[in-house]
Amino acid sequence: MALRMVARNFRSKLLPSFTPAFMLHSHATSFGYKEVPEEEKSKLVGNVFTSVASNYDLMNDLMSAGLHRLWKERLVSKLNPFPGMKHLDVAGGTGDVAFRILESINSVRHKALRDTFEDNLQEETQIYVCDINPNMLNVGKIRAQERGLGEDGSLVWVEGDAEALNFEDGSIDGYTIAFGIRNVTHIEKVLSEAYRVLKKGGRFLCLELSHVENPAFKQFYDYYSFSVIPAIGELVAGDRNSYQYLVESIRKFPSQEKFASLISEAGFQKVEYENLVGGVVAIHSGLKF
Amino acid sequence: MYRTVANRLLRFPAIYRIAGDEFIGKPRTLSPAMSKCSLNFCSTAESPPQQSTSIPLASAGASGSTEEGNRRGEGRRSEARAHCQEEQDRVLDASLLHVPKLGWTEVAMVAGARDVDVSPSIVGGFPRKEAELVEHFMDECLHKLMDIIDSEEDLKNLIPNDRIAKLVRIRLELQVPYISKWPQALSIQAQPANVPNSFKQRAMLVDEIWHACDDEANDIDWYVKRTILGGIYSTSEIYMLTDSSPDFRDTWAFLNGRVRDAFDFKKSIQEAQYLAESISAGMGSSVQGLVNTVLKK
Repeated sequence: MALRMVARNFRSKLLPSFTPAFMLHSHATSFGYKEVPEEEKSKLVGNVFTSVASNYDLMNDLMSAGLHRLWKERLVSKLNPFPGMKHLDVAGGTGDVAFRILESINSVRHKALRDTFEDNLQEETQIYVCDINPNMLNVGKIRAQERGLGEDGSLVWVEGDAEALNFEDGSIDGYTIAFGIRNVTHIEKVLSEAYRVLKKGGRFLCLELSHVENPAFKQFYDYYSFSVIPAIGELVAGDRNSYQYLVESIRKFPSQEKFASLISEAGFQKVEYENLVGGVVAIHSGLKF
Repeated sequence: MYRTVANRLLRFPAIYRIAGDEFIGKPRTLSPAMSKCSLNFCSTAESPPQQSTSIPLASAGASGSTEEGNRRGEGRRSEARAHCQEEQDRVLDASLLHVPKLGWTEVAMVAGARDVDVSPSIVGGFPRKEAELVEHFMDECLHKLMDIIDSEEDLKNLIPNDRIAKLVRIRLELQVPYISKWPQALSIQAQPANVPNSFKQRAMLVDEIWHACDDEANDIDWYVKRTILGGIYSTSEIYMLTDSSPDFRDTWAFLNGRVRDAFDFKKSIQEAQYLAESISAGMGSSVQGLVNTVLKK
């Protein structure tokens, strides 16, 4: 306890000159292990996702051995959606998270809630799926139709930039970003936008590939990500470089603790995180007041 | 033991503000789970703070002015945290109004959040959901009971067993509005994940009642007394669930009966003790007399 207090104090002393935001705010930004000018990163990331869009979900299943489904389930169960919710899923082009949220709201568990409140509440539910890449959104729209959700008025597909959202202040109940924040140029801008659009009491949840602590597991994980994943990418999607970028960008992403402090610097309260599979992914959450 | 913890939390929040983060926030939060909420980062993975690497740098450049700025920053942060805790309590308070109709459920919490104009998303921010609603209610009741103990003068004029019966009755009366849904609350408290907290809250309650009776025991008696009162409280609570007499008259009669039994039991133990002591004293003196006479010869 004392140690933590000391660490806190020292950190706060440093804050004016040595913020984590300062470090991320350099004019050259990272694209995987490469340093690229800021303006170029979004274009490069755009290229990556345009090239992987068609195989995106298949690749996710292959790379994570299906685990990404469980991670997304966990994210949605932490979000605790409710009927009448206005939700924004950023970087969720293929609709994976949005479909799960919709299913959870429509599930039997929420029958009591629906019966208690007025009937029109169900129709008020709106899930905005926002993605900067139209190719990813198209994949999502097709999948929605396959699932019979094409006509569902609750799903709204929006093409937009996470750093400059096209939503009113305080208009959203929940904000999720799954495997997306790693690819943006300015993390702190995304966070402050998330803070802006959320209502009082609204929650921010972020599912992201993160850092493994356990040294033995880290060995295996590094081998897997640098040797196996690009190979799978080449075999299945015919695109080694995009998947090389993927594993490098994970290593460049701030650690769990640092990202948590970025979130609380954006103004969020009750910032917590949960590691899944020993830190391969982490779910960060914050509450706006 | 719990009394001291409660006292510190209630009356000297300043001490805790210095001693640790966990207790910053609303000073009146009693349950450990609630105080944990106000932690800035609580990771499930219990990793050490990342700032430790920056310590050497910091100690080199720590001047008076940064220290002051730091203190101001800390103050703002803990203020924000206190505000966050306050908002959560406001939601829980509003949710309690829906409990008689909707039960101790997420639905009541969503309804409560809507009432105070907070996004119902906040319900997802309570990891144990309805259990935290029940715990919030238990805390509220404990505060009310402590206020009553401090303000009511005639309590002090009662003899101990009447005083105990009266206090248990006051506490049980606080849950009368929720009596139709109280079995649900008990079942929530009995879930394995919630047992530690509900046990602590009950221990704190029993302790508070004993202290109101000026009990200063610190030997084995301490445990015996608290166990017995805990038993009396819980049985009366359960008796009350099925009591349909006007104003719960049967429950209060039952309660008085059990308190009297407990005091009688204590008396008989004491009597037995005295008897044993006098017997051993009597036997001791005669043995001594025998030895003396043998030695003289």
